Amino acid sequence: MSKISSLINFIAKRNISLTTPCEGKRNFRKFVLANKRGSRIHKQQQMSPNRELEVDKRGVRDVGYYLNGRFVQVPEMIPELIVPDLKDCDLNPYVSYKAEDVIQSEFTAQQLFDAVYSKKIVTDFKQGKLDAEGLPLEPSDEEKLQPDEAIKRAKRTGSDIF
Amino acid sequence: MRIYNFLSKKVGELTIKYSNLPESYIKRSYEQVYWKNPKGYPQYPAAQIARKNYRFTTNRPWTMQFGRQNERTTQRKKVFLEPIGEWMYFKGDRVEILVGRDKGKQGIVSQVIQERNWVIVEGLNTHLRVVGKDKSFPGITVQSEAPLLVTTGVKLVDPETLKATDVEWRYTEEGEKVRVSTNSGRIIPIPKAAQETVDYKSRELYMENPDKDTTAAVANKITFAPKLQTFEMDIMESMGIKEDRTPATTYWY
Repeated sequence: MSKISSLINFIAKRNISLTTPCEGKRNFRKFVLANKRGSRIHKQQQMSPNRELEVDKRGVRDVGYYLNGRFVQVPEMIPELIVPDLKDCDLNPYVSYKAEDVIQSEFTAQQLFDAVYSKKIVTDFKQGKLDAEGLPLEPSDEEKLQPDEAIKRAKRTGSDIF
Repeated sequence: MRIYNFLSKKVGELTIKYSNLPESYIKRSYEQVYWKNPKGYPQYPAAQIARKNYRFTTNRPWTMQFGRQNERTTQRKKVFLEPIGEWMYFKGDRVEILVGRDKGKQGIVSQVIQERNWVIVEGLNTHLRVVGKDKSFPGITVQSEAPLLVTTGVKLVDPETLKATDVEWRYTEEGEKVRVSTNSGRIIPIPKAAQETVDYKSRELYMENPDKDTTAAVANKITFAPKLQTFEMDIMESMGIKEDRTPATTYWY
């Protein structure tokens, strides 16, 4: 084992510290001291209100929050897995080798525009249902949609990526 | 970086293709990693200490036999290989042997081992091997083919003159990449047997398993219809989930 641990020092790591010296604690930041690791004194300090390190939750998200020392559970924070009914699904775990390789280009915003709006615009133009600025006189639901409303609808899913 | 990627790649392209296994799986199955830094902590670089030199043989890298030949405790002498620009030899090719007992004979390539620049020619360049020898049983003698180096051991056969020839990769006017014999200028087509993998002889001849395989017709069907919705909105609509609460607006400063 000694040979291996000496090998790891060959991996180049160069650091410049611009802050004041870390009171000699610098090296010990390198190790992962998850909840149960460390000396008795360290763990006692971790249990006290001014803990040094955050609780390592191992990637698990909270299902609530602490309020005045008590845990409040929020039903919306509990993940819910919605599994579709696969009774009449034709898809199986593997794909047959007979299937051709599909190389598909990216679905662009212009293609989406063409699919949703272009047909309506062409028919409106032919029937003279466009005003002087080119806006429809009888707009469809998609044409009435404004950007802020569209963002609101996307956020209503509860997804936090928008 | 490209040169480094090329040089650090150990398992050959044709080997991966033949196995029908993901490249990452093959790498994981033969690699011997001794130490890996923990993931997800900023103080650790993504470093690992692993065995560097493996002895590639006729045993495929994902097999147990390969693992046994590359035991953790054993170190074997490094094999120096002549770098090959573009691979010429495929399974099913007719080749002439240039070295050994069967010098001058022609045969069909039955296996390609790119890791060692080897091809195995069916029934040629053989030796005898005694199998299953016991105290009470004398064993059975079988003929086993030895691999041949593609750099010095074999040459492709020209389909016109039926003689060994040098070969080049060239492009046809349609932009297709083909092997051309330099002697007669004839195209040497890549044989059908080169398509063979562990799962099928050729893609068209693959027998679909109705319980496990999505059939080709279903897999190629386009079910995507463009909608003015996000993926999540589409799923909520199809599952009949209704939600009319909107999260409060947030700002970035």
